[in-house]
Amino acid sequence: MTQPLLSIDDLHKSYGSEEVLEGVGLEMDQGDVTVLIGPSGSGKSTLLRCVNRLTEINSGQIALDGQDVTGANTDVNELRKQVGMVFQDFNLFAHLTALENVTLGPKKVLGMDAADAEEAGRTHLEQVGLLEQADSYPAELSGGQKQRVGIARALAMDPELLLFDEPTSALDPELVGEVVEVMRDLAAEGITMLVVSHEMDFARSAASDIVFLDDGEIVEHGPPEQLFQNPTAERTEQFLSRLHAHEETA
Amino acid sequence: MSTAESTTSPNPGLRDRVGTVFTVRPLTVGLALFWVWVLARWTTDFVLAGVFGLDRGTPFIPAAPFLTTADTVGSLAASLGAVGAPLVWFAETLRFAADATAYLPAMAHGIWTTVLLTVFSVCFGFALALPLSVVRVYGGRWARWLALSYTELIRGTPLLAQLFVLYFATSLTQVLRGVPGIGVGFIPAQAFWVAVISFTLNSAAYQSEYLRASLESVDGGQLTAARAIGLSKLEGIRYVVVPQGLRLALPSWTNELVYLIKYSSLASFITVQELYGRTSTIANETYQYTELFVLVAILYLALVVSASALMDRVESHTATAGVGHTRQ
Repeated sequence: MTQPLLSIDDLHKSYGSEEVLEGVGLEMDQGDVTVLIGPSGSGKSTLLRCVNRLTEINSGQIALDGQDVTGANTDVNELRKQVGMVFQDFNLFAHLTALENVTLGPKKVLGMDAADAEEAGRTHLEQVGLLEQADSYPAELSGGQKQRVGIARALAMDPELLLFDEPTSALDPELVGEVVEVMRDLAAEGITMLVVSHEMDFARSAASDIVFLDDGEIVEHGPPEQLFQNPTAERTEQFLSRLHAHEETA
Repeated sequence: MSTAESTTSPNPGLRDRVGTVFTVRPLTVGLALFWVWVLARWTTDFVLAGVFGLDRGTPFIPAAPFLTTADTVGSLAASLGAVGAPLVWFAETLRFAADATAYLPAMAHGIWTTVLLTVFSVCFGFALALPLSVVRVYGGRWARWLALSYTELIRGTPLLAQLFVLYFATSLTQVLRGVPGIGVGFIPAQAFWVAVISFTLNSAAYQSEYLRASLESVDGGQLTAARAIGLSKLEGIRYVVVPQGLRLALPSWTNELVYLIKYSSLASFITVQELYGRTSTIANETYQYTELFVLVAILYLALVVSASALMDRVESHTATAGVGHTRQ
């Protein structure tokens, strides 16, 4: 029996009296690409943030590679070396060039020397097709380029798991494609990804699993073809039809 | 770092900037002359005089031409009668200029002390202000409260009172007098250091407020992203938030520097012979109050404008696209 890379069990999280996650369970194996979908406020981003402890949970278990993530003795900085994150608003370091954004973590967290970090950083920028923009500042990049630097920055830490928090929802529609393409490449390379996104195109073509989250609980979980073609729950069906309607008008 | 493209790109804003540089040229020339004089004065009096055994403070500019011109203008004015009144005033000014040639060397020494006072205080003050501001923004409840109390205490009381308390009401002077090296050779005596300590403590409070505002204006997502790549909170603050905060704080920091240049004159109340102190000593002896205070105002103005010009250079040198305001 192989151990799952990520396992989440009976996860509860509330902000004050408002319960955001009500007993969520999820497992991911190495190389899995799991896409979380669900209406806004359903707890998708919160779930993601619990995995790298940007948000602390109330109860339940999260384990990465069999190691307890949420324990009081867990070194969060150590954990975050293994779990990369890509943000909706990019959050690129504004005072650093694209290359410096990518090399800061390797230099300061992994202790790589500057030359090695730069060489690796250029490789990662090349991977997202931005080698030529290495010396540009975030303000000089388009939204799509920013997000690709954000992905390269997360990749540079050589994480076991990459979290994507709505990576395309702050982008102009014509820039979504370039980011989705990079994500699809990463999925094809076997990088384990947990993605909050409504990018159906990506979900259909690259996801190994789709998880539909509503009101803080997992309503349905399955491979994309099954979940998109034959959803079993009524709530899933309703959500998907609203999503399709939106896609067609957009 | 990013200046390469801004200098090579044919952007019209750049031409405008070149244009403004041309219009401020007389000012640049004036400042250059001022600093050539100041530096020549310091080199002659502090270095060369000692090496060659010359008299310190010998004026560079002879008084005689001013006096002869004044006499000529004066007699011309007398022959013109009432119409010559403006010429009388001009002759008086020339006579003061003749006197000023004798005062200026002492004032150049005063400038040295003023510059030292300001530079030490603003730098030490910054070293204190940075941790203070970080505590104000990111510290725990008690640490924040302590930092806030310090800031409010300092900002809520007059600088002169703080200076007097340190100088007269504490044993700081005695302690400093015991420190070896104080008051020996080029190292100023204890009153100067009391002033430095006082201005440092004062400036730290003001600077920490400027820095706090800048740190707070750095987007919260920056620290989150820093934490997400595994940096500790302190590392995230150090490598991500503070560098951006400092760039944002530059304009208001310049303001603090300019204030301190002028407020350093309060040191004269505790016997420090800085620019204002030396000038008022001369004025008390010669009774040429108006003329001397106009002259010292011009010298302070030169110092302040130099500081602003310098900080302007620093600002454009550290300008980064997307961090703070980029001027066209």
